[in-house]
Amino acid sequence: MRSPQFSSFVILVVLLVVFAVADGNFLSPLNISNMMAFLPELGIIALGMTLLLTAGEFDLSVGAVFALAPVVVMLPVQNAGVDIGVALLAGLLLCIAIGAINGVIVTKIGISSFLVTLSMLLVVRGAALYITQGFPLKSWDQPGFLVTLLAGSFNIGAFRFYTSLWWFVGLSLLAVYVLRYAKLGNWISAIGSNRNAAVARGVPADAVKIWLFILTSVLAGLAGMISAFRISAASPVAGTGYELEVIAMVVVGGTALTGGRGTILGTIVGALMLRAIRNGIVLVGVPGLAYNIFVGVIILAMLILHALLQKNAARS
Amino acid sequence: MQEVLRLQNLQKSFGSVRALKNASLTLKEGDVVALLGDNGAGKSTLIKAISGVFPIDRGDIYVRGEKVSIRSTREAMDLGIETIHQDTSLAPDLSIARNLFLGREPVNLKWLGVFAPIDLAKLRDAASALLKRVGISKKLDADALVSTLSGGERQSIAISRAMQFAAKVIILDEPTNNLGVEETHGVLRFVKEMREAGHSVLLITHNIHHVFEVADRIIVMRRGEIVAEQTVADTDLLTVESLITGADVSALMKRAQ
Repeated sequence: MRSPQFSSFVILVVLLVVFAVADGNFLSPLNISNMMAFLPELGIIALGMTLLLTAGEFDLSVGAVFALAPVVVMLPVQNAGVDIGVALLAGLLLCIAIGAINGVIVTKIGISSFLVTLSMLLVVRGAALYITQGFPLKSWDQPGFLVTLLAGSFNIGAFRFYTSLWWFVGLSLLAVYVLRYAKLGNWISAIGSNRNAAVARGVPADAVKIWLFILTSVLAGLAGMISAFRISAASPVAGTGYELEVIAMVVVGGTALTGGRGTILGTIVGALMLRAIRNGIVLVGVPGLAYNIFVGVIILAMLILHALLQKNAARS
Repeated sequence: MQEVLRLQNLQKSFGSVRALKNASLTLKEGDVVALLGDNGAGKSTLIKAISGVFPIDRGDIYVRGEKVSIRSTREAMDLGIETIHQDTSLAPDLSIARNLFLGREPVNLKWLGVFAPIDLAKLRDAASALLKRVGISKKLDADALVSTLSGGERQSIAISRAMQFAAKVIILDEPTNNLGVEETHGVLRFVKEMREAGHSVLLITHNIHHVFEVADRIIVMRRGEIVAEQTVADTDLLTVESLITGADVSALMKRAQ
C-alpha cells in the first residue's frame, strides 16, 4: 500500500466500480472501445514525460507539437503532392529539432525547463496556426500502409480497437524496461535525484536530458499523427491543454514532480484514470461545462493522498 | 614509496580572479595529506581540477609518473582518482546497491550500450559483500534507499564506493561536515583503513584536530597558492592555525614576550 502506483491502482479500481454502478453503459463495449481509442494518444506522450520528469525536467510544448507535426506532414502531401513517407520523415526531423532545442537550452544555457518549453509552446503553436492560416486541413482519406500502421482498427468480439493501442502497449513495455532494468534507467533516476552526484560518477547528465527531450517531442509528434489519421484531419488547435493533462497523468501515477522517482506502471494507471474520469463524469451526468471542476478535484485528492503516504513512509 | 600523483605549477583563473596560482604537490602511496586553508584559499578549485570538474589553464598533472590530461570526471575516475564531495555524492532516491555502482553498473548483453540490462543479482551480491567488508556498524540492506540513511551512513557508503574501485587517490572534501561525534570517528577510522590498504588520501577539512589525528602531512593554501608544507610530526596546532590565517607567528610570539 506504500508504493504510490499501487495506491493509484486501488483508486482507479474504485473509480471504475463507482462509474460502473452509477451508469450501466460505462462498461459497455462501445464505451470501452471509445476510451481505448483516446487513451494511447495522451498515454504515449505521458510515457516520454515520465522519463523526462524522472530526470528532473518537464516539457510544456508537447500539446503544440501534437498539433504541428501532423500539420507539417499533411500540408505538403495535400498541396504539393509530396510522398507521405517523405513528409513523415520531415515531421520526425522537425520533432527531433524541437526536442533538441529544448534540451540544449535547458542543459547548456541553464534556463529552467518551465520557461524554455513554455516559450517553445508558443512558438510551435504559433507556427501551426500561421502555416494553416488557422484552418484545419481538409480531411485525409487515402488509406495506405502507414495509415493502417498508425490508425488502423480491428474488432475483438464486440470491442473495436485501434492499432494505436499496440503502439501504447509496446512503448510502455519498452519504457518499463528502460527505467527499471537498463543502465540508462539508473542514470535517469540518479540525474533527477541528485544531478551532481550522477555527474561526479561520470554519467553524461546533459546528453541524457537532451535525448529525453527529443524522445518526448517525437512521442508527442507520433501521438499527433495517430490522432490526425484517426479523425482524418489535422487541426492547428489540436492538443490544446494536453501538456497539463499529460503531466497530471504522470504525477497522479506517483512520479515525483521534483525528479528521481518515476514509475511507468503508475503513469499507465494515471492515464487510464484520467481517461475514465473524463468519460465517466459525462456519463454520470455532470454538466459538460462543470466537469473540469471534478477532474481538478479528483487530481488534487490523488496528490494529497500520495503526499500523505510519502509522509507516513518517511516517519516509519 | 612510489609516487602516485604529482601536480606541477597548476594555474586556473575565473575571469580576472586567479583562483589557483602555481600549485604544486606530490602524493605517495599510502600518504594521507591534509589540505588546509580558509574559505576562498583555492582548496576547492584545486580538487575540482584534479577530479576533472573543469580543465586547468596551465600546469602538468602526473599519475604514477605519467603525464595526463583530465578533461572530465569520467577520465579522472579511469585514472584512479575518486572524489567524495560533501553531502553530494549519492542519489537519495536510489538504493544503496544502485548508488555503489552508479556509472559502472554491471550489465548483461554489453553490446546494448546504455540500454543493456543491469545484472541485478550481481549488483546485489557485490553490494552486500562490500557492505559486509567495510563493516558498517548497523546492518544495512543493499536494497534500502539512500534517503533512509543517516549522514554518517551515507558518508561511509560513499567512501567504501571509492575504495571498492581500488582508487589510487581518494579525495575527501569536508567528509565530516554535519556529522555527529560517533559518525565522525567512523569516517576518520575509514581514512586510516584507506592508508593501510595503500590508497593515497587528500583530505580537505576545516577541523584541524582531525588533521592531527589521521594525516601524515599538511599542506596549507592561501589566496590560490600553497604557502606551507609540513609533516604532522614536526608541527603543532598553533603554527598551522597561523599559517592558515597568515598571521606572523614569530611577531605574535615576540609581542607575547
